[in-house]
Amino acid sequence: MQIKLRVFRFDPERDQKPRFDTFMMDVDPNDRVLDLLEYVKADFDSTLALRRSCAHGVCGSDAMRVNGRNYLACKVLVKNLGTDQITVEPILGLKVIKDLIVDMKPFFDHYRSVLPYLINDDPLPADGKERLQSPEQQLRFEDTTKCILCAACTTSCPSFWSDANYVGPAAIVNAHRFIFDSRDKAGGKRLNILNEQFGVWRCRTAFNCTEACPRDIHITQAIAEVKRAVNTGRIE
Amino acid sequence: MTTTTQPEKVVVKKNFDQVAWTWMRYSAFLLIPLAWGHIILQDVVVGVHNITTDYAINRMANMGWKIYDIALLGFAFAHGMNGVRQVFRDYIHKPETFRLVSIILLVVWFLITLVGAIALLAIQPVVS
Repeated sequence: MQIKLRVFRFDPERDQKPRFDTFMMDVDPNDRVLDLLEYVKADFDSTLALRRSCAHGVCGSDAMRVNGRNYLACKVLVKNLGTDQITVEPILGLKVIKDLIVDMKPFFDHYRSVLPYLINDDPLPADGKERLQSPEQQLRFEDTTKCILCAACTTSCPSFWSDANYVGPAAIVNAHRFIFDSRDKAGGKRLNILNEQFGVWRCRTAFNCTEACPRDIHITQAIAEVKRAVNTGRIE
Repeated sequence: MTTTTQPEKVVVKKNFDQVAWTWMRYSAFLLIPLAWGHIILQDVVVGVHNITTDYAINRMANMGWKIYDIALLGFAFAHGMNGVRQVFRDYIHKPETFRLVSIILLVVWFLITLVGAIALLAIQPVVS
């Protein structure tokens, strides 16, 4: 099939304002949007800048807006877009460094702010090895372990667009992953961080994050669970 | 094997955004019976064409209805002002300015509700 691909282009060091480059190309309906961008780089314009690494939906490098919606470029097939007009833009809310590459630093600063690592200063168990937990206890936070930090959720959130100080859904998801982990002991600390002015209360339950997540994490539900834990002071 | 199922209790320091968010939900729950009670009574049971001066005099002579109307005003207005505060939040990014705007909205809510309550309580219609 033939498609018309429009790609956002902007080099802050050279360009006054962004533009869209248009490419007409024959593609296979099973091609991914990432393949199209690779064709552009290989055959049309090697200066196109984008991030990609594993190209299989695991590394989370290639989150971008495709026809106005956040996707991983490596996970969306041309045939699933239902059109032959494809527009690719960088994710919103973060500064564009070049073309489809955005500055992820603010995103990772928010991520770091919720202490996204296991904290437990208790003595090790008698065997000196693992802190065990039951399968049920693991299931409590299983969903939020799937996050790959692609930023598709946070950059689809209207609250984040309006105020970049908001920690955003990805940070809350990663806080949830440890708050509800029975082995972790810093749930209260994280809940207090998320109860601050730019924490969970900025979420308006728009569900954009849940829709954008390439890992199908129930993000809005996770945020609601964190809100409930903040309100009740009970981690269960 | 660690299989504790007891919920862990933690201390979370209260914060105004948390109270405002919770208030938004509870005030909405209270608004449902208050607002629907008002609509069903006035528009269905009584009917808009039967709301006459006599009806209003009789209603305002009843302290129960006065309290109902004051509660409706207070909760509906608080719910609305809280919504306005959320809208402002998208445009005011400086915490100090936002705090000031929040205080102004709270004062406006209090004054308007107070004026409405005084007006409702001051009405002492003579039922003929």
